[in-house]
Amino acid sequence: MSDLDRLRGEIERLDRALLGLIGERVRAARRAAAAKRAASMPTLDPAQEAAVIRRAATLAREAGLPEEDVRDVFWLIIGLTRRAEQEASGAVAEQR
Amino acid sequence: MIIVMRAGASLPQIDGVREHVERFGVRSHVARDGFRTIIACLGESDALTESSVATLPAVESVTRWRTPYRLASRQLASHGATTVVRIGDGAGASVGGPALAVIAGPCSVEGREMLLETARGVGRAGAGALRGGAFKPRTSPYAFQGLGLDALRWLAEVRRETGLPVVTEALDPRQVELVAEHVDVLQVGARNMQNFPLLAEVGRIRRPVLLKRGLSATVTELLLAAEYVLARGNPDVILCERGIRTFESATRNTLDIAAIPVLRGETHLPVIVDPSHAGGRADLVAPLAYAAIAAGADGLIVEVHPRPATALSDGDQSLSLAGFRELMRGLAPFATAAGRTLASPPVGREAAA
Repeated sequence: MSDLDRLRGEIERLDRALLGLIGERVRAARRAAAAKRAASMPTLDPAQEAAVIRRAATLAREAGLPEEDVRDVFWLIIGLTRRAEQEASGAVAEQR
Repeated sequence: MIIVMRAGASLPQIDGVREHVERFGVRSHVARDGFRTIIACLGESDALTESSVATLPAVESVTRWRTPYRLASRQLASHGATTVVRIGDGAGASVGGPALAVIAGPCSVEGREMLLETARGVGRAGAGALRGGAFKPRTSPYAFQGLGLDALRWLAEVRRETGLPVVTEALDPRQVELVAEHVDVLQVGARNMQNFPLLAEVGRIRRPVLLKRGLSATVTELLLAAEYVLARGNPDVILCERGIRTFESATRNTLDIAAIPVLRGETHLPVIVDPSHAGGRADLVAPLAYAAIAAGADGLIVEVHPRPATALSDGDQSLSLAGFRELMRGLAPFATAAGRTLASPPVGREAAA
């Protein structure tokens, strides 16, 4: 096995780990949606989303990663998990 | 290029087609239309030929785009299917569903108490969401420009107190994250419809976007503006017809009623109408609203002020709370005739009070 093959294997392992984590985050968001419903809170919490982005940007800076790109990634993940939350709360997701 | 897969195409077959086009540097986007899977190819490559795709397993047909917009195109959904954009938790807070979405509130947020009074009033009357301007794009630099961050904070407080989702305008890409921290839906105003950095930014943060048609923009230009948001990965775009500038001076703008069925034919995105800016006069709001719903609009965005005579902006076209209640009562038969429902109040927690 060449060095490149080994590195590609390592990248695939990391991709699988990332997907596992995204799945975990979606499941956690569904549980959060249930908790919000129980507390009669709206599904979307704009201030909380902004806090998540701020935290991600700070961590990106500390890790020496490009901050703007990391913010993009987290807006994407937040959008993805919000959809899951809305579906969990019986959203109107169908087409008319 | 649009690739329609045969009904029952397997996931590996769909993945195979996507990998084929992506090898040519063309992005693929999958839309589901009932039992059909449609693969939209975004971008062009001379090397990617229709015949090379048509012979792949489970491909039913390959057609060319007939419009310059792609993700906004009706070609990605069957006739009559509308994308539902969810802006909050109640039935009246989904735009494009069976219930009409009515968004109401003051042109400008003038203070916390007036905002709360308006929100409670419109919520009780059946509005599904609250509008309120924090940053105002005024024609004159000497006109009231909005209360900015204070207004955003009051919008967030009133949102918490009433449960109504909130719509407000972002004027500048640098404001987008700040606005998103406080409200549910980001509005791109008519004057900013072709502010491409702003469109890209609201596409990036993936909150529902209310995109108003520019004063002199064609339907195609409106849909291409929507495409900027969609292309950044944000699928939740609501279009808004708010009147266009014509030679007629009896009204502030001319409501382009025909744009509603034209858009319905051109796009799967939901369409709402702003009868307040279209007519520019409070007495025109109800007839224009009824016409919009009869023509097939998915909802309305209406300016309401507890005391229109003292409003800091757009008082002439603002309904009073009583006027808004009357509008909602009058709307019911038009909704029924159009095959739609009106979400019955209460929508928010406080609206039940």
